[in-house]
Parts: sequence; C-alpha cells; structure tokens
Amino acid sequence: MRKEKSSQPISPEEPEQPLQSDQLHTTESPPSPHTPEKKRSPKNRGNIRAGLAVIAGRSVGALSRRLHLGGGTSIVGVVAQRVYPDIVEHLATELEHGSIMVTGTNGKTTTSSFISAILRDGGLRVWQNREGSNLMRGVASSLIIRARPNGHLRRSGAAISIFEVDEAALPQLVQMIPPRVAVFTNLFRDQLDRYGEVDSVVGHWKRAIQLLPNDTILVLNADDPAIAQLGEAFSGKVLYYGITDFTLAQPEPQDEKRHQVVDTRSCPHCGNEYNYDVRFYSHMGHYHCPNCGDRRPNPTIQATNIQQESFDRYRIQVQIEDKTLPITVPLPGLYNIYNALAAITATHALHIDWEPITSGIEQSKPVFGRGERIQAEGKTMRLLLAKNPTGFNEVLRTLFTEEGSHHILFVLNDNIADGQDISWIWDVDFERMAQQTQTLVVTGTRALDLALRLRYAGIREQDMQIIPPAPLRAQKQRQPVRTRLRRNKKHKLAEIAATPSSTTATQHLYGLKNALDQALQQTPEGETLFIVPTYTGLLEVHHELEQRGLTPHYWEGRDA
Amino acid sequence: MAQDYTQSLQLTLGHLYPDQLNLYGDRGNILTLRRRCQLRGIELRVVGLGVGDALAPDEYDMLFIGGGQDKEQAPVAQDLHTMKGIGLWAAIEDDMPVLAVCGGYQLLAHYYRPADGPDMRGLGVFDAWTEHKGAHVARCIGDIAIRWNNMTLVGFENHGGRTYLGTAKPLGIVLKGNGNNAEDRTEGAIYRNTFGTYLHGSLLPKNPHFADYLIELALQRKYGQGSPVGNIVALNGTGTHHTSSSNHATNIYVDTSERAAGSTPAVALRPLLSPLDDSLEWETHASMLERLGLYSEATTVLQKHTS
Repeated sequence: MRKEKSSQPISPEEPEQPLQSDQLHTTESPPSPHTPEKKRSPKNRGNIRAGLAVIAGRSVGALSRRLHLGGGTSIVGVVAQRVYPDIVEHLATELEHGSIMVTGTNGKTTTSSFISAILRDGGLRVWQNREGSNLMRGVASSLIIRARPNGHLRRSGAAISIFEVDEAALPQLVQMIPPRVAVFTNLFRDQLDRYGEVDSVVGHWKRAIQLLPNDTILVLNADDPAIAQLGEAFSGKVLYYGITDFTLAQPEPQDEKRHQVVDTRSCPHCGNEYNYDVRFYSHMGHYHCPNCGDRRPNPTIQATNIQQESFDRYRIQVQIEDKTLPITVPLPGLYNIYNALAAITATHALHIDWEPITSGIEQSKPVFGRGERIQAEGKTMRLLLAKNPTGFNEVLRTLFTEEGSHHILFVLNDNIADGQDISWIWDVDFERMAQQTQTLVVTGTRALDLALRLRYAGIREQDMQIIPPAPLRAQKQRQPVRTRLRRNKKHKLAEIAATPSSTTATQHLYGLKNALDQALQQTPEGETLFIVPTYTGLLEVHHELEQRGLTPHYWEGRDA
Repeated sequence: MAQDYTQSLQLTLGHLYPDQLNLYGDRGNILTLRRRCQLRGIELRVVGLGVGDALAPDEYDMLFIGGGQDKEQAPVAQDLHTMKGIGLWAAIEDDMPVLAVCGGYQLLAHYYRPADGPDMRGLGVFDAWTEHKGAHVARCIGDIAIRWNNMTLVGFENHGGRTYLGTAKPLGIVLKGNGNNAEDRTEGAIYRNTFGTYLHGSLLPKNPHFADYLIELALQRKYGQGSPVGNIVALNGTGTHHTSSSNHATNIYVDTSERAAGSTPAVALRPLLSPLDDSLEWETHASMLERLGLYSEATTVLQKHTS
C-alpha cells in the first residue's frame, strides 16, 4: 500500500502528492509521545535510552512547532542524540531493507524522489528525509519521528530509507548508517563560503568511501571526472551511469561570450588537463587524460538516445547491460536526465524490475521548486531552483535554447543557506538570455548585484524591473522618490530618459511580494512565468504562494 | 613621433591563468574593464595567459590574476616562476597596472605557508607573506568594505590564509570585515601600480572608480608618457602637438589633436575617461555599505555619484 496516513509532517510518504489542508491540521498537532500504554518494559538499556531519546526529541520538536520557533525538524534529532548519542545507529539497524544515500552538488532531491517513487512502485515502504534536513541532525530526526517510545521503529518491515545527504556530512553519516547503495550525482562549485573549495568536498567523500562496508554498492556518474574517480579506491561493487548521445554535446567554448564554468579540469593522477571528446556541460562529458590515459569509465547504464518532446518531456533509450529500454523523463533539462539515470542505476543495483522503474520515473511530479508547476489566474508559474553557477547555467540553457522569449522572475538571496558569496553570478552565462526576455523582474536581497550582472550581459536597464527588498536608507534621507525621478529624467543618458515609466515603477516597489505581483501582472493569461530563485528565495516564494492559497503548506527545510 | 591616437585607443589586458584561477567570479572584473573601455571607444583586447605561456611585457598594458583552488594554485606558482616571473617583474617595475585578487595576491607576495605541507613560493613583488594557521583558526569570510584613496571599496572576502605586510603599503584600511589578517585592519597591498587585494564579488563591477583608475593608469602609461592621471582626465584640450617626449604635466592629455589641430584649433577635447552612467553601480555599492552598517559612507557615495 502506498497510501498511508502519516502523522509525521517531516517526511510525507508521498512527497509528490501535496498534503491536503485537513491533513495538515493533524500534522501540525504534536504527536503524543507520552501515551502511557506504549511504555512496555523494555528488554535492554539500549531500548530504554532509545525510547527516552525518542520521547524527548519528539516532545521538543512538537513544542518548537507549537511555538513557531521553526520547522521543528532538526531539533528533534539534536535533543534525541543528546539523550542517547547512538540513537541513529540503534534505529537504523531496524530498517528491513536498509538505506540508500544520495549526495552531490546538484540533483540530490530530484534523484531521491525518483528513487523513492520507483521503490514504492516496487512494493517497498519508503522513508525519506526532507531536503534542507540533510545534515546529521536532520537525518537523525527523520528516523526518530518514525520511532516509537519503546525505542523501536514503527512498521520497519519492508521499509527502506532514502537519505539525501549534505556533501560534508557524508563521512559521519556512513559510519552511523552504512548504506546499501551510495549515489554520487555530480560535483560543482557551490557555496564556497560554506563548503570550501571543490577539492575539499572530494576529500570528504574519499574518507566516507573508505568507511563503507564492502557490500555497499557505489553508484557513480561516469561523465563527471570528480565523481568517477571515487570508484578507484573502492573494493566493493561500483556501477557507473552516463550519457552517450552525442547530439547533446556543447561545442567547446571557443567563443568567449559563451562562458562555461569548469570545476574539474585536471586528471587526479597526473595533474594533466583532460581532453574532451564530447562535453555536455561544465566538466560533464567524455574525457580522457592525454598524459596518463585515465579516462571516463564505461557506464553500466547509459542513455543512448535522447529526444526532447517538449519543454519538460524527454524520451530516452536506456541501455542496461545488453538490453535497451525506453523511458520518458517528465522534467525539464539535461540535468534531470542524469538524475533519472542515477535513480535507475541505484534501483537496478537493488534488483528492482524495469516496470516499477518506468512507472516510478514517468509518473514523477517535480519536487519542491525543481520544475514545480503552479497555476493561478489562468497563468502558469514554473519554479526552477538555481543555487550555483552550473545549476543556473543549466536552467538558463533549458529556458533559452530555442527561439521565443519568456517571462522571468529572478530571486537572488545571500542568506546563509544560499551561500553569502554571490560572486558566482559573474560565472553564469546570462549573455544567453539577452533579447529573449519579454518581461524580467529582479528581486532578492542582492537584486542590485544581479541587475548589474544582467546589464553587463547586454540586458538594458529599462528591460528589467529591479525590486530590492527595501529602499536604501541613504536614498530615503537624501531625497524623496519623486525628486530623484525628476533628476533621472533630466539625466543625459537617453536610455533612462526614454523610459521614465519603467524607472518610476522600479523606484517605488520593494520586497518579494511586490516582485511576484509585478511579474504575474506582466505575464499575460495563458502564458508561463518562470521563477528562478536561490534556495531561500524559493522558500520565500513558496511561502508567498502559500499565503495566497496556491501551494500546500510547506514549512520543512527552513532550518537548513 | 607624434601619433594619431584618435583612430582607436587600444589596450591589451593579459589575463593570467584564466582556466586555473577563476574561482570567485573573476570574470566580472574582466567584463567590467572591457565594458568601461568600450563605452569610451577604447578597444580592450583580452589575452589569456595559461600555464606554459611566456609573458612578454611589451605586449600588454594591464594584467589581471584571480584566485583559485589550492590544488590548482601549486602548478600555477611553479609556472609563475619559471615562465612568467621575469616578464611580470619587468612589467611591474615599468608601472604596468596589475590587479591580483585573492590567490593571485598571495602569489605575488613572498610565500604562502599552509597549515601543513611545504611553503608555496611567491614572486615577492609585495613585501608581504601569508600563513594559514590551521583548521582551528576561522577563515576570513564575509562582506567587506575598505577605505581606499578617501573613497570606499566593497567586496566579499573568503580566505584561510592571513597576510602580513612587511614594508608593503596596504591598498586600504578595513572599515568592516577582516582584510589581510583580521588583526591590523590593513587590506591588500600596493607596489608601484600593482594592487593585491582579497576583495572579490566581483570587485570591479560595483567599484567603478577603481576600475576607471586602473584603465587610466594603463592609458596614461601607454599614451600619456608618465603624466599624472588627473591631468589626462581633467583637461580640456588646448594643446597642439604633444609628442611622446612631452612631460609638461598641465598640458598633457591623450592627443586627439593631430586632426583637431589642423582644422579647428583649441577645440574642446573629450576628456579621456568620460563619465558613465553608473547609478546602478553606485546604488549597488551603497547597498553593500548599508548592509555592513556603514550608513554615512553610503550617503556620501550616493550624494557624490548619483545626483
């Protein structure tokens, strides 16, 4: 049975199905961990402590949600681990089918969601931690909220857990919960202020892999040299996946206007630069080292033929060993084909049949902000999270490959969960979108920085509406808005004088709410507004849409 | 040997190690220099200088070095010595403007001493050195504002190493943030026209005055033959034939007068670096200052530049 009544909001069993509002009510009410009848005499001290830890954690979590102190997800794990440090190991051993871990820079959430849909269709009971709760404490919470006060997991039979794991948290987590399958999607520069450099992430991962038992199966992206190299030191089984359809190749970046961020360019063995026979994006492709001969491993599972049927439908041929099977990926972008391949490979490793694989992937709905579609007033909104330069470049490529122009809303924030350094916007190929926007609204805490970047990409100031979070104090003090506008009109530069109206609008509006209103207003009925936010921007947009009754309540993940 | 510079002013920017040292949006700096030149009719050619390429100082008017990952910095440090050291030194001693950000800045000082492992030798342009004190010492990460030439520069810093200045002059004094070492409030270093700094973000887009300063230094060096920058920029032309040997400070500007002198004498010449509409730049600059709590500096900036 797929449909279960979950009393736990942290990881709904059906993430692709929006929670109903009546369900929400029950989820918001605290679980009753103090029910006395459940307190049976435990067999050993471990269970007593585990039980206590579960009670303590869940009580605090419920309290924290009650008091609106936060999502109340991570605190559950923190408190429970304080009471019983081995709580996670204790509970993890009870999962009948063990666990799968998914890590990497981009695609963790979508890959996990594909895997869970497949496994569910394969008849398993699937537990997931929520994205944003992918550090140690979040993973702990996801187990604890499933545990009973007697220290055992509820319904652990036929259960498998999928953990989406933060890159840096992996070494610690694999020690506590040795996974059956570990999936590595890709590695790009991301939040340099938080993770440090790309190489230090490779270091974390190599340490984690050394800690894995031999019967773990590694699932690695063959097309990403930083990921593929992880298989070399592992003595257990390794499955690679990759793309072999060369029609998708990008020409080598000859033209300096087409900018590609390449994060892994040299061979880890000899330091020589890789040569590429074909490059899909960034450093993803078919590479070899001309010096020592290191090359892309031959993938066990590969996409041999990819046909784009529409914006968010790809028909691909998947070759598994000697069979070739068709499948449709119902999400936009080449990067989602990689996510689908990762999920296919991971579930293939668990001997899941092709049938649930097809149905799981083909019936997937986009998860939170990853291509998610929302309808309002006869208009469609598509949310396309973009949190690092490669992710952003791929979103832009997906949007601006073909002719035709779009309505766009960018939200650039620099909160802790986004990474406070926004230098990376200069590495994004915004040049691609010049002359292809019908309307463009720029907002977020760093709206001005992004507007500046866009101007350098050849988008004129009058073609975008800049809506910062708040007026500058200095501007408010200095002159009332109207004076400022009159001065602007007198300004020598024709481009400002020519469009006082757009300048007027820009000067008057602040905040995400206004930005969303403007963007929606400018999008005619029947057309689509593409919203491209950073992570906390996505949360804000979702919150705003939720206020308007357009999306389900979603409070998880804010504690990232 | 008077030359007609009117046809096109042309500058060549050597971008050192564009593939290895490009971690923090360094491309923004290049885009800014190019655009600000372009808008004034100056052609800026950008030449990438990778590992193995020699640096012939005569071929360039400006140089830029960005920051990269440790792994990529080591082969670069080696190449900087073996392939480019002499050319770079010659360029620097010949007052070529050089901007070195983050890792590039560290490579131009004496050495970088990691927490473990051998020192990485730098070029020693700046009398300064960098030490990484180990994982227990926090990285210097965050928005930063410094005072430079009585103006502000804003950016983002992210460095594990702490740089200490010997006799090198700092680029500026930290208003908010860490700077070179989070101890002495210095930020960056200057030697002749070579500027080292930890500010990225990118640095130049929202610090247009600093971008123009670098362009002016380059133009002056190439066309102005040693005259102070201010004279080139501020002057309206009355001159006729200025040759390359001319050194009268008040009369020197880039000579577009070859043509002008023949037809209409004393024609008012366009100042070399005409002002641009930088209101978005300064608004972004001011918003950074406000984010750091520097409200009076933000007001000053807006008063000066956007009214």
